[in-house]
Amino acid sequence: MKLSEFMTTHIRFVDSDYSLYDAIEQMVDRRIRSLIVRFPGEPPEYGVITARDIVIKVLGKGIDPASLKVSEIASRPVFCVEKDMEMFEAARIMDEHNIARVFVCDNGKIIGVVAMIDLMSAALIQRARGE
Amino acid sequence: MFKKFFQQGKKEQAVIDKTAAHIELLIAACKGFHEGLIQEDKSRVLQVFHLEREADTIRREIIAAIYEGAFLPYLRPNLCRFAELVDRVFDDIEGAANHYSEMEIPEVLKEDCVRVAFYNIRICEMLLICFHALIEGNELREKTLAVRIYEKKIDDIKFEMKRILWKLPVQGFWEGRILAEFVDGLTAISDIVEDASDYLHIINVSMK
Repeated sequence: MKLSEFMTTHIRFVDSDYSLYDAIEQMVDRRIRSLIVRFPGEPPEYGVITARDIVIKVLGKGIDPASLKVSEIASRPVFCVEKDMEMFEAARIMDEHNIARVFVCDNGKIIGVVAMIDLMSAALIQRARGE
Repeated sequence: MFKKFFQQGKKEQAVIDKTAAHIELLIAACKGFHEGLIQEDKSRVLQVFHLEREADTIRREIIAAIYEGAFLPYLRPNLCRFAELVDRVFDDIEGAANHYSEMEIPEVLKEDCVRVAFYNIRICEMLLICFHALIEGNELREKTLAVRIYEKKIDDIKFEMKRILWKLPVQGFWEGRILAEFVDGLTAISDIVEDASDYLHIINVSMK
């Protein structure tokens, strides 16, 4: 199964100067675990903040998230893969680089995200289809 | 189990064949709908009407055969209910096709609509796999889980589409209503397929 078949296409973007607290609010309201951070004119153009980053780098250390910009904790660059990549290949990359999600890019633009839960779902469907 | 106990009679075999044909027709309708959306070809989408009429005939034949004595009495209500649920999916596809013929999908929703239509094909294919597994006496658990995974995937897209929909400017009441009903119909198909797969599970359990 290719990534394009099972990727999540609704991705939230925030600019690098966005307040971390506002970003957290978006993540809570929309029940999402990561946000793409745009760095316009500063290649690499995309970074990512995750719930894990927020807990470990900020909240766990007692830092006030309202005092930070998303750019201060964003991981850069993001891991981009092709939409035609097979799911098991993405799983191998995630294992090799110890990352929980890969971003699907087309001509340098992020068009989707595939997380561990998506890979698990895809693998279960493949089993059910007998593939 | 199913095969061992119930497939010997001609009436039972006829119901099984017709039910499989009913689901195959449903897959064909979903494929036609999906292709029509991609090509923005309303006449292709409207071919669903012909398939729906054909499906209606099959449903009547299935229910008539069951009432004429196919299968043990305790299985009949759930088999009838299953056929009716498949038919309800056809009604929803037909409704969505009808709405599509009266509107243009806003650019911001096109990709999501195509994606949901694609998952509708997949979830219906999985329903057919579930049905064959039931007939062959195979385990249904993994198959029904796959149906639920697709349903959840479509649900996630539906909520995002609704967020977009609520903010979308429309020219008038009917434009907004037709668009909302189109999205509702397109995203409701997976809910009914999930219910149908639950009935297969119930039939399977009731034979143990």
